[in-house]
Amino acid sequence: MSRAAAGPAPPLIERRLWFVLGKGGSGKSTVSATLGLTAALAGRRTLLMEVAGQNRVSAIFAGASVGHERPVELRPGLFGLSVMAEQAMEEYLTGQLRMRPLVEVLSRSRAFHHFVAAAPGLAEIVTLGKIWSLATELEPDGSKPVWDALVVDAPATGHALALLDAAGRIAQIATGGPIHEQAERIEAVIQHPAATGIVVVARPEELAVSEALDAAAELAERELPAALAVLNAMHTPRFSAGDDAALEAALGAGPLPPAERAALEAAHARRVRELDEQGLLERLRDGVGLPVLELPCLIARQIDLPALEGVAEDLARERPPALFGAT
Amino acid sequence: MIAGELVDRRVLVSCGAGGVGKTTISAALGLGLAAAGRRTVVVTIDPARRLAAALGMAGLSDEPRQVDPERARAAGVELTGEMWALQLDAKATFDRLVARHAPTPEARDRILANRIYGHLSSAVAGSQEYMAVERLHELVEEDAFESIVLDTPPARNALDFLAAPERMARFIEGRALRLLLRPGGGSTGIGWRALHAGSALVLSVLERLTGAELLREISEFLGSFEGMYTGFHDRADAVRELLKSDRSAFLVVTGPEPQPAAEAVDLWHALERGGYPVGGLVVNRTESLPEGGPAPIAELGRRLQAAGAADPEDLARRAARTLEEERMLAVRDLDVVEGLRAALGRPPVAEVPLLEHDPVEVAGLARVTAELFGT
Repeated sequence: MSRAAAGPAPPLIERRLWFVLGKGGSGKSTVSATLGLTAALAGRRTLLMEVAGQNRVSAIFAGASVGHERPVELRPGLFGLSVMAEQAMEEYLTGQLRMRPLVEVLSRSRAFHHFVAAAPGLAEIVTLGKIWSLATELEPDGSKPVWDALVVDAPATGHALALLDAAGRIAQIATGGPIHEQAERIEAVIQHPAATGIVVVARPEELAVSEALDAAAELAERELPAALAVLNAMHTPRFSAGDDAALEAALGAGPLPPAERAALEAAHARRVRELDEQGLLERLRDGVGLPVLELPCLIARQIDLPALEGVAEDLARERPPALFGAT
Repeated sequence: MIAGELVDRRVLVSCGAGGVGKTTISAALGLGLAAAGRRTVVVTIDPARRLAAALGMAGLSDEPRQVDPERARAAGVELTGEMWALQLDAKATFDRLVARHAPTPEARDRILANRIYGHLSSAVAGSQEYMAVERLHELVEEDAFESIVLDTPPARNALDFLAAPERMARFIEGRALRLLLRPGGGSTGIGWRALHAGSALVLSVLERLTGAELLREISEFLGSFEGMYTGFHDRADAVRELLKSDRSAFLVVTGPEPQPAAEAVDLWHALERGGYPVGGLVVNRTESLPEGGPAPIAELGRRLQAAGAADPEDLARRAARTLEEERMLAVRDLDVVEGLRAALGRPPVAEVPLLEHDPVEVAGLARVTAELFGT
């Protein structure tokens, strides 16, 4: 039984650490950006993070150079940070050993570098450790956490599960020592549905929805606290059943000039697509066991930041229960 | 049309950013090769659901299964060769690798039962990439197939999986760690005392972090691989040599959007720099330019009025807007494809048009195959 099922879990907006998961091409990074913008507009001091050198956040906030040294303010209340495993490793050692000379010895040791580069799973645990330390960091006076919301644009689903699992695995492998203790503390946060919320993103396509259902089942099985499913890039209904008869009659009425035929066919195809997408939305709602948030398809030549901000403004104003809980 | 020229290659690798439809392209390649008379196997990584669905198989396993030729015939494709498919099982592949190279059955059992090995072989990101390449080696060695299509795993960096065998072999060989743990090189326990000062310090730091127990276990694990490193290395070398030879070809798959296209350019150049033979570019799911110009709303409105629309002008306006969006995306796709051609020095390119539905059956797949093979 998953912990999430043990009691009513809070909506995503009330959790602090958000992991956004999805297959490649699901629009995971734009969803992360949209959720980050929404959280900031809702008054949360928000940190949007990219991991594993993906640089997608920087690409969306064109012109912003999201560094890995310190958070960069992207919008009022929204900051960006790129988490790099190598750097996180050094920071970890510095914090852990509290002896700069020791860290320097390690940093200079070729054997150690080889070990770090090759040891499977090490990149995941130090990345996760860095995310955890940011999520648990307090203001200097200890009054409150530095960040109200941390949005992690996670790697593609398989690798993301490895990332989320890293602490538990390390806690199992290392049976003693500070690493074991720390891995257990990280695991406790990652698995706690009051602290962490995992977001499963899919496009409204047959196989993508099947895969999202699988991912949600996998998260439940691993007792990882899923909080929200996002059906991304939904075409907002433009045509309805009342249009069907006229569209079909006009298309069947005989020869048409090419531009008119093309427009009628485009309308018809869009209507079919809208119906398909509604069916997929229902399938996801029925099977995923999570609140489902729809995000609109933004038809543009490329990622359109003002349009994303518009979507975030709508979300912050309308406060959909899937994200904000019942009011 | 690009794949027609690649029919004689032993290995075709489809690679690209996540979500561009690599698995569909791999399956369509396999279908085309089988239709061209080759005994073909498609190796898919994750998830096999897409491929299995397209081929009408309930599920795929680590062992190749043949696609029913009747299924292809029903979709209008005559397979003069054979099409097989398998889904990589990283753990099973790793276990076989160990079994093959272990000097004795006892050594094999010791490794398979080792806790560290259990984590390494099943759970850890990276072992999948390693095992994809290892499985490829097995298939080449068994020589049961004329053509092997390898669908690459979703990696952070699409080239990751090519580097994986070396990285993993290096870890298992554990030169670095063994130097720390067993500087004497003998197999009698851990030579703590013999360490020179620097290593002793590094070791004591590691031990403070992990506890001595874990280090001991890792040391045992690495020790149990003693005598197997050469085998691992030979295989990693053999695969690299095959992939760099003219018996192989890489196809870079991308979508028509600017972001994956940019990643495709990086990947293409990285493959070339690495000395891998790049056979062509596949731009998947391109929108085709609609015929005619902008829809004349007044005329369209009259026509819809005659067809019985309740608010004909409004419907005409919505239809015209939908057409304009289609055209904008089609123009974008044209621009992106032209940009790719220019950036890559006019390589062979196949464009696969966006189908109304994802190709989840052989008939849909056959349409993709036709675009790839120009039939």
